[in-house]
Amino acid sequence: MRSKALLLGLLCAVAAQTARAQPPAPAEIKIGALYASSGPYASISMPVSAGFRLWVDQTNANGGAEVKAFGKKIPLKLIAYDDQSSTATAATLYNQLITRDHVDLLIADSGSVLTSVGVPIAKEHKQFLFDVSGTGAAFFTDDNPYVALMADPVSTIWPHYISDFLADDGAKAGIKTVAILFSTNDFTGTQAAALKGFFEKDGKVKVVYYQGVPTTTSNYTVLINNIAAVNPDAVLELGYVGNDIAFLRNLQDSGNQFRFVFSIYAGVEKEEIEKNVGASALTHIYTYVPPSNYEYVPEVGMTQKEFHAAWDKKYPPGSNVTFGANAVYGYMTGLVVERALATAKSLDQMDIHDAVFALSGKLKTLDGTFILRKDGAQIGEVTPLGQLQPEGKDALTLVAVYPPDMANGKAVIGK
Amino acid sequence: MLIGAIIAGIVFGLYYTLVGLGLNLVFGVMRIVNLAHGDFLMLGGIAAWWLFTTLGLHPLASAGLVIVVFVLVGLPLYYLVVPRLLRSRDSEMLSLILFFGLSQMIEAVTTIGLGATERSLPPRLLGVGPIILFGTRLPKAWIFSAVASAIAVLLVYLYLYRTRLGTLTRAVMVSRDEALATGIDVNFVSAVAFGISIALAGVAGVFAPFILGSITPNMGVAINITAFAVIVVGTLGNPLGTLLGGIIYGVSLMLMQTYLSSWANLLPNLLLIAVLLVRPEGILGRRVRRA
Repeated sequence: MRSKALLLGLLCAVAAQTARAQPPAPAEIKIGALYASSGPYASISMPVSAGFRLWVDQTNANGGAEVKAFGKKIPLKLIAYDDQSSTATAATLYNQLITRDHVDLLIADSGSVLTSVGVPIAKEHKQFLFDVSGTGAAFFTDDNPYVALMADPVSTIWPHYISDFLADDGAKAGIKTVAILFSTNDFTGTQAAALKGFFEKDGKVKVVYYQGVPTTTSNYTVLINNIAAVNPDAVLELGYVGNDIAFLRNLQDSGNQFRFVFSIYAGVEKEEIEKNVGASALTHIYTYVPPSNYEYVPEVGMTQKEFHAAWDKKYPPGSNVTFGANAVYGYMTGLVVERALATAKSLDQMDIHDAVFALSGKLKTLDGTFILRKDGAQIGEVTPLGQLQPEGKDALTLVAVYPPDMANGKAVIGK
Repeated sequence: MLIGAIIAGIVFGLYYTLVGLGLNLVFGVMRIVNLAHGDFLMLGGIAAWWLFTTLGLHPLASAGLVIVVFVLVGLPLYYLVVPRLLRSRDSEMLSLILFFGLSQMIEAVTTIGLGATERSLPPRLLGVGPIILFGTRLPKAWIFSAVASAIAVLLVYLYLYRTRLGTLTRAVMVSRDEALATGIDVNFVSAVAFGISIALAGVAGVFAPFILGSITPNMGVAINITAFAVIVVGTLGNPLGTLLGGIIYGVSLMLMQTYLSSWANLLPNLLLIAVLLVRPEGILGRRVRRA
């Protein structure tokens, strides 16, 4: 009887010890990421990758990231592969990062197209995907806890301020009709559909032209002429960087003028677009005001000015990566990773999920306030509507014009 | 909108004539497909961008310089690559592989050297604002590129039909073996054609920032697909048929953008399939090629 009690006690002690035991701390936290050094998405992917690397290097220079699960700082190891803007290559590489490299954290490539293939793969492998800027609404569903959007809002939210502005200030100024021209991909297609829905719901502005074009479109002259033929007051062109460059150049060349013209990347990648299009073609163009051009007050990480200075130091002119919103998105994702590691109970993917979602509403960075919907869609970090206005000779400044509580300038609507 | 699309298509198509002209010349003379043609076009655009940003050289002046430099690059490149290729059992098929490799190399080296971002030239260099042609607003740059293309077609025509070297070139186009048997320096004739082809791609590249908005290192593949469709429609191996192919492509593209814009990127493939099914020898066919 006594030996049985002794044995039972011994077993209990072993069980308790086993329960308390944790796996040994890894020598490094492996972060897997994709980037596109070439192809149509390189211009939005490389700044994200460079911004994220900047955060990794800064963190490692400070001894690594604080990992709560092990109670210590652990260096980060970034395993990054080049998908060359190919979704097929990206799918292979997402799989490789999960199944061969066994990364602890998985970061998606920039943009909806290259993220789209990562979402189902991450879900299948029960690996949490840090979706940097893949804003397609279809990525976020209640049955998939393995994805969350980090750095910019879901596509259905992005264009809300455009329709609000046109229904409000625009309608007062006599804007009654709008043309929507969009590239047929998840990012811009979702925004176009959302905008059309907003306009139809408000009923103040009528959509008179609604056309999609392939994302590879590089010439808009005839499309602009066709839009002019229906004589809209406002024209909204939703495309990627290459689309916007071609559209804005063609618009200037065509001599057609509209009272309100919107383009996404005129502001989101202002330096890049201005370099290729010129200031005169951009004057009074409406656009989103990205965090690279708007000063939010961060509670975590660098301010926009500090980040820009750090960027310029790490990537001086001639480095072939341009500072812009995507640079901020990369760095911002690093901050979410940092906070998640600092609070997650373990590196189990659902614990990572819980840690990321626990940041919702509490994390304020240079990108605004991080707020997640329960399906992982980002609904904070909303981009105000802005306008590129002349500032001296051959220079432009991006002014936030809507909503009123975020505005730092007044909109100029064409006659 | 219909008339506007057709007029714009004709002018825009002339640019694609320039894009496809060199590719067709090489195929006509050597029966090889230069899949790096679009990458030479990209290099022409990069050269114009570099010459403008560093030396302030106007793109029209750059075009002249690009012709000279690209011909000089094309000649040794021909001797390095093509004669060995033509000695192989299936030179057409091997040319696809070899030039695809060259295309990848050019893209990779350019990306490493310059980055992947878009580059362009200020629109003002070719004039801002439209030219109104039969009621259709067209960018001035389109007119410049259409004129450049027309000049290029004319010069290629004069070269082929009014010069001794052109006569020899046509002899090689008809039969390389018979030309060799009659004592023609087939390699020299082909090398000149290869140099001219690359120079034509380079000139098309100089205009690319104005027509396509910007240039990126990865643009070559898409250009190749379109250029290939243009020359198949116009007749493979008939450089002057490229004019017809280019205009058909341009008009079809503008009509697609007007009436079925979401499907416009399918156009090169649709044209290729349609021509191969209905008239595999191309619209101008064999008769003209042998003329």
